[in-house]
Amino acid sequence: MTGRLLLWGGIGFFLVIIGLPFWWVVTGSIKDPAEIIARDPTMFPQSFTLQHYAKLLAASAYPTYLVNSLIVAVSTAVLTVLLAVPAAYAFFRMELPFREGMYRAILLAYAFPGIIVLIPIYGFFAQLGLIDSLVALVIVNTTFALPFSIWMMRSFLGTIPQDIEEAARMDGAPTPVILRRILVPLLLPGIAAVAVFAFISSWTEYIFASILILSDAQRTIPVGFAGIIGQYQIDWGLLLAGATLAILPVVIIFALIGRTFVAGMTDGAVK
Amino acid sequence: MTSAPVPVRVARRLSERRLAILFVAPALLLLAVTLVWPLILALDLSVRDVRFIGQSGDFVGLANYADTLNSTRFWESAGRSLIWVVGNAVVQTALALAAALILHQRFPGVQIARVWILLTWIVPTVVVVIIWRWLLSNSGGMINPLLVQSGVINAPVGFFASRESAMTTLILINAWRWFPFVTLMILAALTRIPADLDEAARMDGAGRWKRFSRITWPLLQPTLAVLLVVGTLLSFNVFDIIWLITAGGPSAGTQTLPVLIYETAFRGYEMSQAAAMSVLTGLFLMVFAVMASRGMSREAGP
Repeated sequence: MTGRLLLWGGIGFFLVIIGLPFWWVVTGSIKDPAEIIARDPTMFPQSFTLQHYAKLLAASAYPTYLVNSLIVAVSTAVLTVLLAVPAAYAFFRMELPFREGMYRAILLAYAFPGIIVLIPIYGFFAQLGLIDSLVALVIVNTTFALPFSIWMMRSFLGTIPQDIEEAARMDGAPTPVILRRILVPLLLPGIAAVAVFAFISSWTEYIFASILILSDAQRTIPVGFAGIIGQYQIDWGLLLAGATLAILPVVIIFALIGRTFVAGMTDGAVK
Repeated sequence: MTSAPVPVRVARRLSERRLAILFVAPALLLLAVTLVWPLILALDLSVRDVRFIGQSGDFVGLANYADTLNSTRFWESAGRSLIWVVGNAVVQTALALAAALILHQRFPGVQIARVWILLTWIVPTVVVVIIWRWLLSNSGGMINPLLVQSGVINAPVGFFASRESAMTTLILINAWRWFPFVTLMILAALTRIPADLDEAARMDGAGRWKRFSRITWPLLQPTLAVLLVVGTLLSFNVFDIIWLITAGGPSAGTQTLPVLIYETAFRGYEMSQAAAMSVLTGLFLMVFAVMASRGMSREAGP
C-alpha cells in the first residue's frame, strides 16, 4: 500500500515538474497581456487572444527562421540516416578490419566537446565559402548526430535474426540486394528513430548556428528567436507564442514515432 | 547443404570486406573532416597570434598557452566548470534514478509516460530559456508568487541576482532539461536485470529497500559509471543555456570554460588565445575520460 502511494506520489512530482511549465507556456501564449503579467498568476486562462501569434508572424522574421530550421533539420535527418545505417550495418554485421578501434573512436566522438572545434571550423568553413549557408549547419549537425545514431542502430540490428540474411545469401542473393529488399524494410523503425534523433538535435542546435550564420535571412529558430528576446522590450506574450510554435514540430513528430525512438534508446525496453 | 568451394568463399569474403569499408567510409570521412581536421587546425591556431579569422598571424610558439595557464580567469572558469559538472551529475542522477524506478513499474499510462518524459529534452534550448526566464522573472513569473503564497519566502527573490544563486538555478534548469535522457539510459539497464532475481528475493522475504540495495543498485553500477563519464562530457559542453540566460554573469559567476572560450574568440576577438584554451580544455577532458575508464575497468576486473 505504501508502495502504491510512493509510486503515485512520484508520478505526480514528475508530472508537475515537466508538465506544469509547458502548460503555463502554452496557455500563456493565448492570454491577453494584462493577464500574463498579473500579480496573481492564473492556472487556467481567463482571456483568449491570438494577438501574440499575429504579431509574431507579421512583425518578425519568425516564419523565415521556422522554414530555415525545417530545411536544416530535415536535411540533417536524411543525411544522418544515409551515413549511419550502412556504417552501423558494417560495424555490427559485417567483417570489418579495425572494428574495435573504429567503434571506440565513434563513441569518443559522441561526447566530443563541440566548443573545442568551434573556432577552427569557423575558419575552415570560411575558406570553403560555407559561412552564412544552411549547408554548413547540415554538415555540422550531421557530424554531431552521427555517433549516437550509429550506436542506436545497434539495438535495432540486434532485433533482426542473422538467419534471414544467411538464408538469402544461400539462395545466392548478392549483399546489396539483401540489404535493399530484406534489411531496409525490417530496419524501418530504426531508421525512423535515427531520423528523429537527428531532426531533434538539429532543431535545438544553437552554438554553431550562432557563429556560422551571419544574415537574418539564413537564421534558424534557436538563434533567430534568441535575437527576438533581446530586440524588444520584453514582451512575454510574443515570446510564449514563439516558444509554443517552436515546440510544435518536435511534439508532432514525437507523437507519431516517439515510441520507436524510445525503443531505440532503451534497447527494446518499450515494445 | 553443400557450401561453396573454397576459392569462391574467399573471394566473397574479400568483396564483403571491401563493401564493409565502403559502408563505414562516408561516416568516418565526415568525422575526419569536421572533427579531426579542425582539431589539427586548432593546434596550429593556438601557436600563432591570430585575432580574427582571415588573419594569418605570426608564429608565437607556446605564448598563448603560457598566457592561458597564467590567467586567473581561465582557472576560475575551470573551477566553475567543475562545480557545474558535479552539480549537474548529482541532480540529474538523483532525478533520473527516481524517474527510471517509477517507469520500470507497471501503472496505467506507463507507455505514454516513457515517451513523454523526454519532453524537456526534445524542445529547443531557446524554449527552455524562455520558459525559465519567464517563470522565474519578477514580472509575470509564476514561481515567485507561488513561493510567497506558500510562505517559503517573504518577498520575491532574484534567482539570477547573486553568483551563487545564479549558478544553482542554472544547474537546476540544465538538470531539468537533461535528466530524462539519463532516465531512459537507466531504464534500459533496469530492464536488462533479470526479473526472476528480484522475484526470488521477494520470495525469500526481502523488503523493498533490501532488494534495491542488494540487487538493483549493484547491477546498475556499470551503467551509472558509463553515464558518469558520458554525462560529464555532455554537461561540460553545455553552452547555450548559460549564454542565453546569464551570458556568464553576474560578475562572471556562471562563466564556465565554454562560455569563456566563446567570449574570448567571438567577443574579445582573440582567436589564438581561445584556441589555446580549447586545446587545454580538450586535454583536461581526455585525461579525465582516460582515468575514469581505467578506474572502471579496474573495478570491473578481478
